[in-house]
Amino acid sequence: MTPYTGLLFFYILALALVPAVALGLAGRSLRGYGLAFSVGMLCILFGLNGQLLFLAVFAAWELGLCGLFWRLRRRPRPALWVAVVLALLPLALVKVGEVWAPLGFFRLMGVSYMTFRAVEVLLNCYDGRLKSLHFGDLCYFLLFFPAVSAGPIDRFKRFCGDIAAAPGREAYLELLRQGVWKLAGGAFGGILLGGLLQAYWLAPLPERGLGATLSYMYGYTLFLFCNFAGYSSMAIGTGYLLGVRVPENFRQPFLSVDMKEFWSRWHSTLSTWLRDYVYSRFVLRSLKQRRFRNPRTASYLGYLLTMLAMGLWHGLAPHYLAYGAYHSALMCLNEALDLHWRPFKKLKKQGAGQLCCALVTFHLFAFGLLIFSGRLF
Amino acid sequence: MEEKVLQILGGLCGAEPGELSPGLDLFEEGLLDSFATVQLLLELEEAFGVSLALEELSREQIATPAKIAALVREAQG
Repeated sequence: MTPYTGLLFFYILALALVPAVALGLAGRSLRGYGLAFSVGMLCILFGLNGQLLFLAVFAAWELGLCGLFWRLRRRPRPALWVAVVLALLPLALVKVGEVWAPLGFFRLMGVSYMTFRAVEVLLNCYDGRLKSLHFGDLCYFLLFFPAVSAGPIDRFKRFCGDIAAAPGREAYLELLRQGVWKLAGGAFGGILLGGLLQAYWLAPLPERGLGATLSYMYGYTLFLFCNFAGYSSMAIGTGYLLGVRVPENFRQPFLSVDMKEFWSRWHSTLSTWLRDYVYSRFVLRSLKQRRFRNPRTASYLGYLLTMLAMGLWHGLAPHYLAYGAYHSALMCLNEALDLHWRPFKKLKKQGAGQLCCALVTFHLFAFGLLIFSGRLF
Repeated sequence: MEEKVLQILGGLCGAEPGELSPGLDLFEEGLLDSFATVQLLLELEEAFGVSLALEELSREQIATPAKIAALVREAQG
């Protein structure tokens, strides 16, 4: 069974959400039921997929790591590195298993998103940004079901703020209204439009030929947008029904006038996560330690590192690595144009120039998705 | 405080004197990108001794020089 797909899933989801809605409308806290809901849904889903044992081991591993790291009185930097590497280990095993048959048995849906959550908690512990760490909240955050398979990626402190107190009847009514709307809109985009694009545009296309590949590039870009934004919307809507304001993931990305803006609008919870925990940390440390004579070098290398990590996170297949390298190059080019080509700023603001920039950005991204799709090699 | 924040921002964004005003939207004008934001946090730390975490700041909170100054004031307690 796949989340947000098929009548059986939606039937189970609707049944499981009834007590949440009842609690919300009664003005009661949804924290306890939300955790039980998440664990229950994960058990059903992973049980049916035969991955329940792996999920249990994974959850124990990540929770144990976060708990142990939190309990350390002193948290030296090498300890953080060890903890992060250990937290990434299950994800690495799954990704290696995708390209290396002997490890192929190690499959775990949602491992990427759950790993992001654990690493964020570790980094927050290290930075001393957490005043307390409640084990129940940590479990709930790590296993939060609605966004487990495809995001959005929430943040621990924000999440804890939402579940700390009951939203109250009036606020919950608004969450319910918005949540149902998002669920319905997401189903329309993700299932209906995505399904139609897949069935009537992508599926009939021949495997080879320049025309077919070009058509595939446009079709796949639209399909992925409808599909991904739709699934994100359904996850956000489900989160709302549990009283959690899961952050938005897509904000009209095709209106972007350059790649930097694009990444703040497309799968933005992933790009802001990578910006905050990879790019900014690398740049900040580089500036503090004066690693480079020209400080901007830190920014270029930061983009390189961040986008390569983004590519790797999708998988170890060559097309994912190429996708990461391609976006690294585009981000560096964007940075260079911003810095050294003065008309670029003006161009992005004017009517016709703005339209040109948006079209170029769309095509650059669409070509990136063509690489990502694996159709080219 | 606002004066000093404007001075820091002027240096970071390469803005001409007088180009920056307390209410100017730094993102809208394309003056503050990810790199300049990291530099800004570093300079605020050096100038005012406040440690601000980028991951806890929304774009809205640092959108204008006046908002940045208010944030520093709040962090100083």
